[in-house]
Amino acid sequence: MRESRGERLFSYLIHAGLILIALTCILPFLHLIALSVSEGQAVDLGRVWLWPVGLDFTAYRYFFENTPALRAFNNSVVITLVGTALSMLVTVLTAYPLSKRYLYARKPITLAALFTMLFSGGMIPTYLVMNNLQLTNTFWSLWFVGLVSTYNMLIMKSYFENIPSEVIESAQMDGCGEVRLLGRIVLPLSMPMLATLTLFYGVGYWNMFMNVILYINRTDLQNLPVIVQSMLQMQSMANMNAMDMVQQQELISEKLKAVGVMVMVVPMLVVYPFLQKYFVKGIMLGSIKG
Amino acid sequence: MLVPGILFYALFRYLPMGGLVIAFKDYNFYDGILSSPWAGLKYFEILFQSKATLQIIWNTLQLSVLSLVFGFPAPILIAIALNEVRKSWLKRWIQTIIYLPHFLSWVIIAGLVLTLFSIDGGTINKLLAQWDMEPIPFLYRSDSWIAIFVGSGLWKEMGFGAIIYLAALSAIDPSLYESAGLDGAGKLRQIWHITLPGLRPTIILLLILGMGRLMEVGFDQVYNLQNPTVLEKAEVISTYVYKVGLQQAQFSLTTAMGLFESLVGLILVLSANALARKFDQGLF
Repeated sequence: MRESRGERLFSYLIHAGLILIALTCILPFLHLIALSVSEGQAVDLGRVWLWPVGLDFTAYRYFFENTPALRAFNNSVVITLVGTALSMLVTVLTAYPLSKRYLYARKPITLAALFTMLFSGGMIPTYLVMNNLQLTNTFWSLWFVGLVSTYNMLIMKSYFENIPSEVIESAQMDGCGEVRLLGRIVLPLSMPMLATLTLFYGVGYWNMFMNVILYINRTDLQNLPVIVQSMLQMQSMANMNAMDMVQQQELISEKLKAVGVMVMVVPMLVVYPFLQKYFVKGIMLGSIKG
Repeated sequence: MLVPGILFYALFRYLPMGGLVIAFKDYNFYDGILSSPWAGLKYFEILFQSKATLQIIWNTLQLSVLSLVFGFPAPILIAIALNEVRKSWLKRWIQTIIYLPHFLSWVIIAGLVLTLFSIDGGTINKLLAQWDMEPIPFLYRSDSWIAIFVGSGLWKEMGFGAIIYLAALSAIDPSLYESAGLDGAGKLRQIWHITLPGLRPTIILLLILGMGRLMEVGFDQVYNLQNPTVLEKAEVISTYVYKVGLQQAQFSLTTAMGLFESLVGLILVLSANALARKFDQGLF
């Protein structure tokens, strides 16, 4: 079909608009990368745009050696790995039974879970529960409070429900028990969805901020977002006396902030491309059927 | 098999709901939840009579309504626009890029915002300085702060939010477009009469869910972006509950506020759903 002039214009506008939007997503990061590895002087003078001016990686070394960042990074890793594993485990254990039509209390339990998406106890009562269980200042408070995301659980349940029953029935006719059914048949068939939800949980734990502020006071237990955030808010460093003037000037600056942000972003950027193809498919499947 | 799940919901979701009673009590540490003396509606009265708390509730509403008004159409427009892109490699690249901000923590985004907009050392102000112009305190004026707040929320979620609409778009029968084109309908007409109605169920569903979260301006976003100068407009229920409730131990008052927030959210979802029922599109 031939396109009219108006339609071609429309098409150009659309493409231009989308490319513009995509640019706003990339350019700030290029700028940050440039800031974090440029020479301090150039940064202060405002001469750094999308490309580094002079190369200077000392800010990164400073970041890991002279701030709580390294321990925070390790904390983040532990919190994320254990948290994601626990969450996936319990979510599967919850979604799978709820996907079986013959389960007796299926409807009320599902409704009860759904209700928590609409109404909750709020910040203070949840904090009080954690406090009474003496879980504050432990990683367990983080893992328990985020253990099951009802949204994720419903996606999982919906996916399980859509597995063709012939597959399940034929396995059962061969004498397959419930647990084996789950492990050998259902889960392998659900890989795209499982990968997607693992990604969602993982990102959630890696970026966890509010819960850490609420439940963890000890700086040696806090995670990367919290530590970086306090750096962003800080105007000066406490242990300045140990350094000489040049170092001081260089490091209380845009540069260090940029470094902090980059350290948080890079793991995400590394993992993201691999999982992107999974989650797009996963969401499409989930949304069409959900 | 369900045991861990049930334990979780019971302990960490429903038990705290029980704790909501302290909104009606004079809670203190010694007596705990059960033995603290009753206070009736005292804290709710304080809430609705104090100018400060009313301002906070107003701020919360203002920020979330603005975010909804600007943030709701954006993913839809992006999905429709993406749908028009012919070259699939371009489409995939753009998608990959615009999905990214959703996965970033607000700490990162606030860091970006500070780098760009801060008054001394911010990129934009450095640019202005090079052109001999006065620096603009973007983050310290209420109006520009609110714009940055809504804009950053948009930036973060509009790409990812488009995914659901893209999925719905792919379910629209392509022959509808063909026949409309043969009948002489231009692009815009086609979008108006085919695409949008095809998206209607999805839009309404997400709108209902969105309404339920109207009172729920996210803690992370506000906490990371606010500064003392704009506090009058930038303090919302969640950050106030954190500061005054947890840090200043005014548990009952802030629980009352939280209860108010949750209740309003619940009522909004149920009403939005009832309204949608009238158009045969209820969620439940």
